[in-house]
Amino acid sequence: MNDIPSNCPMIDSKTITARKIIDLAIEKIKNASINKTNLIWLEATGCAGNIISLLNAENPDVIYLLDQMVTLKYNNSLMAAEGEAAFQQFLDTLETEFILVVEGAVATKSDGLYTVIARYQGDLVTAMEAVKMAGGKAKYVVTVGTCASYGGPSAARPNPSQSVSVPQFLNQEVIRVPGCPSHPDWAIGTIANLIAFGMPELDAQSRPIIFYGITIHDRCTRRSYFNNGIFATKLGDPECMFKLGCRGPVTRTDCPVRQWNGYVNWPIEDNTPCIGCAQERFPDGMEPFVRY
Amino acid sequence: MGNKITINPITRISGFLEIQVEVEANKIIDAKSSGMLFRGFEKMLRGRPPLDAIYFTERICGICSTAHSMGSTLALEDILDIRPNENDKMIRDFMHGCEFVQNHLRHFYQYTFPDFVRGPEIQPLYNVTHNDYRLPEELNKELSRSYLASLEYSRLAHEMLAILGGKAPHTHGIFVGGVTVNLEAAKWIKVKSILASIKDFVAAQMIPDVYTIAEYYPDYFENGVGYKNIMTYGVFDTYVKEALFYVGPQVFINGELQNFDPEKITENIHRAWYEARQIEQSPTEPTVEENVYKEKAYSWIKAPRYEGYPMEVGPLARMCLSGDYTNGISTMDRTIARVLEVRKIIGIMEGLLERMEPKPPQQGRYAFSGEVRGRGLIDTTRGALGHWIATENEAIQNYEIITPSSWNLSPEDSEGVKGVVEKALIGTIIEDLKNPVEIGRIVRSFDPCVSCATHVLSDRYSPFQIRIV
Repeated sequence: MNDIPSNCPMIDSKTITARKIIDLAIEKIKNASINKTNLIWLEATGCAGNIISLLNAENPDVIYLLDQMVTLKYNNSLMAAEGEAAFQQFLDTLETEFILVVEGAVATKSDGLYTVIARYQGDLVTAMEAVKMAGGKAKYVVTVGTCASYGGPSAARPNPSQSVSVPQFLNQEVIRVPGCPSHPDWAIGTIANLIAFGMPELDAQSRPIIFYGITIHDRCTRRSYFNNGIFATKLGDPECMFKLGCRGPVTRTDCPVRQWNGYVNWPIEDNTPCIGCAQERFPDGMEPFVRY
Repeated sequence: MGNKITINPITRISGFLEIQVEVEANKIIDAKSSGMLFRGFEKMLRGRPPLDAIYFTERICGICSTAHSMGSTLALEDILDIRPNENDKMIRDFMHGCEFVQNHLRHFYQYTFPDFVRGPEIQPLYNVTHNDYRLPEELNKELSRSYLASLEYSRLAHEMLAILGGKAPHTHGIFVGGVTVNLEAAKWIKVKSILASIKDFVAAQMIPDVYTIAEYYPDYFENGVGYKNIMTYGVFDTYVKEALFYVGPQVFINGELQNFDPEKITENIHRAWYEARQIEQSPTEPTVEENVYKEKAYSWIKAPRYEGYPMEVGPLARMCLSGDYTNGISTMDRTIARVLEVRKIIGIMEGLLERMEPKPPQQGRYAFSGEVRGRGLIDTTRGALGHWIATENEAIQNYEIITPSSWNLSPEDSEGVKGVVEKALIGTIIEDLKNPVEIGRIVRSFDPCVSCATHVLSDRYSPFQIRIV
C-alpha cells in the first residue's frame, strides 16, 4: 500500500478507500503485472441477495469486474449455460488457480439435501459438497454476506436446515465480507485487494479492516444527537435511533460514510435503526429490530 | 416409457430448481418441477416480535425483498387495523414500483436474453451449449449491447428505491403505517429524473428488443401455454384516479371471470417433502414438518390451489386481467407482457410522483395485544404474494407465506393435478433432444424464484441430466 498508515483508523479508512485499491488493481492488470484470476461465485443456502447487490456496483461495475478483473467461471444467477454443462464449468475450474466466493450458509441437515445446487452424472450435488470441493482447492475463500460469513438469517433459530457459516464448515482461512446484503464495494474492493496486493489487513474475525474497522456509531451522521441526548421516539424521526434499538454501536461497517446504491442513502438516514445486519449474531442477537 | 431429460441447475433464476421431463417421439409427456432449497422461514418467525417480520421476511429473497416488506406490512396493518395516509401510501407504492422496474429489467436482460440472444463475449455470459440462436449477426450485436446497457438502468431502479428506503436489496423504508422517509424536494426531483431516464431506455430499447426476439422466435407463441387459469390479488388498486389504477383482485377460471375470495386458497403437500395431519390445509393453519425422505415427494414447494385449481400468476396474468394485454397466453406472450408491464408501471409511478407532497412521514408507536390474525395479499413482481400472520401479544404465533413462485412452480397435488409450469411443459415439442432449449425458455418465462418458494428440493432417485435412451 502506498499510503503511510496514520494512527487514526478513521483517516486511514478515508484515504485507503475501496476505490483506490480497485484503481491500483486495474492498473496492475493493465500493466500485465498480474493475470486475470478465475473466480467461482457459489450460491449456497441464502437468498441470492449478494449477487444482486454486486450487480448494483458502479465504477467499477460488474461488467468491468468480469471483463477486466476476474474471469467468472461459475455463477447460478448469471451464467448462460444450464444443467450439467453449467456444473461442468464449476468442476473444470477446480483444476485451475481460482478465488472462491461463497454467498449463503452451508445447510448440513439430512446430508445437505436442504440445498441442492446441481445434478451431476445422476447424483445430486449439495451446496455442502460443493463448498467442500471448492474450498480445499481455492487460492482464497471469501464469504460475501452474513449467511456465508456467520450463518445469518439462514441459520436463524430454530435453524431448520442446520445451516452453519462457511468458516465454521471449512477448516481453513476464510475472509469474511459480511452484510445483508454485502455492499458491492466491500466485495469488489476485497477481490481487488486479493488480485493486486494479496491478503488485505484483517481484524480478529477475518474481516478487511478498511471496511469493518470502525463502528457505525463512531461515524454516525446523527452522533451529535446522541451526544446531546436527543433521541427519536418513533421511526421517521430525524434524531438518534439509539432508544429504538439501533445496533450502530456494535455494528462495524462504513455505511455512514460510504452509503448505498449510488452512495445516496443508508438506513439511519432513512429514519430507521441499524439492525446490525453485518454482525456475527444477526438476526437472533439483534432483535428486536425495532423497540417500542 | 419415454426418454428422461433432467436439467439441474436451471440457471439464471433465483435459487435452485430442477426440471425433469419425460419425452416420447420428441414430445414432452410428463414434467416435474422440483424446488431444491429449504430454509424454513415460517418456523423461524414463530416467537419473534411482530414488527420484526418486515425486515426478517425481506431476507427470504434477495431479488424481491420489497415484495415481502409489502406483504408483511399489509398483514401487520391488518392486525393493528391501521391504514397509512394517502401521501405515505403513494410513496410506498412508488417504492414497490421501483422493484417491479428493477426486477423486470434484470429478468428480461440478464435472465431471459441469453436464451435467445448470443451474449456479450464475456465469461460466463457467453458460454452456451446450444445453437438455436436465430438473430442475424448485426442485430444480435445490437441486442447484446442492450444487455450491457440495461445494467445501468436496473441499478438506477434500485437507486430510486434506496433514495426513499435507505438501501436495496433489503430496504428499510417500508414500514407499518406507511414509510419512514422524509420526502423533500431534492429527493423527489432526484427520483423523478432517474425515472425519466429509465422510461427512455424502456421505450427506446427494451420494448423494441422484445418484439425483435418475438419476430425471430414465433414458435414460442405456440408453446408454454398451460392451464390458462390466471389470478391476481391486485396491485396499485386503492386509487380512484384512472392514471394510478392498475388491476384489482380477480380470478379467471375455465374462461370465466370471477371475484377473488381468499378463503378458497389451500395448500396441498401430497408431493412435497412435508408431513402434516391433513394433506390439504388452509394457509391459516399451523405449518407442517419437513421430511426430505418422504416417498414419492419431489419438491420443497407445496402446491397452492384456488378452489382446487392451480393458478398462473405474474405479469401476464395481471396484464390480461387488467385488459392491457390481449394477445394470448404462451412463452413469448409472458415475456412480452413482462416488458410492457414496465411501461405500465412507470406510467403509474409518474402519476404517483405528480401527486405526492414533500412532507414528513406519519409514523406511530405500535403495540400488539391479544390473539389476532391478519393477512397481507398483494401482487408483486412475480405475481400473487400472501402473508398470513397470527400474533399473541408481542410475539408471532404462526406465520404462513405463499409466494408467486409457489403458485407457478408447484408440484402435483393429491388429485393428480399438475402444477402450472409442469402443465406448460407437457405437450411441448423438443426439436433437438440433445439440446432441449425449449425447457429452459418455457420455465424462465415464469421468472421463477425458488429462494422465495422457501419450501423447495428434487427427486433423489431419478436418473441424471440429459439421458437419451
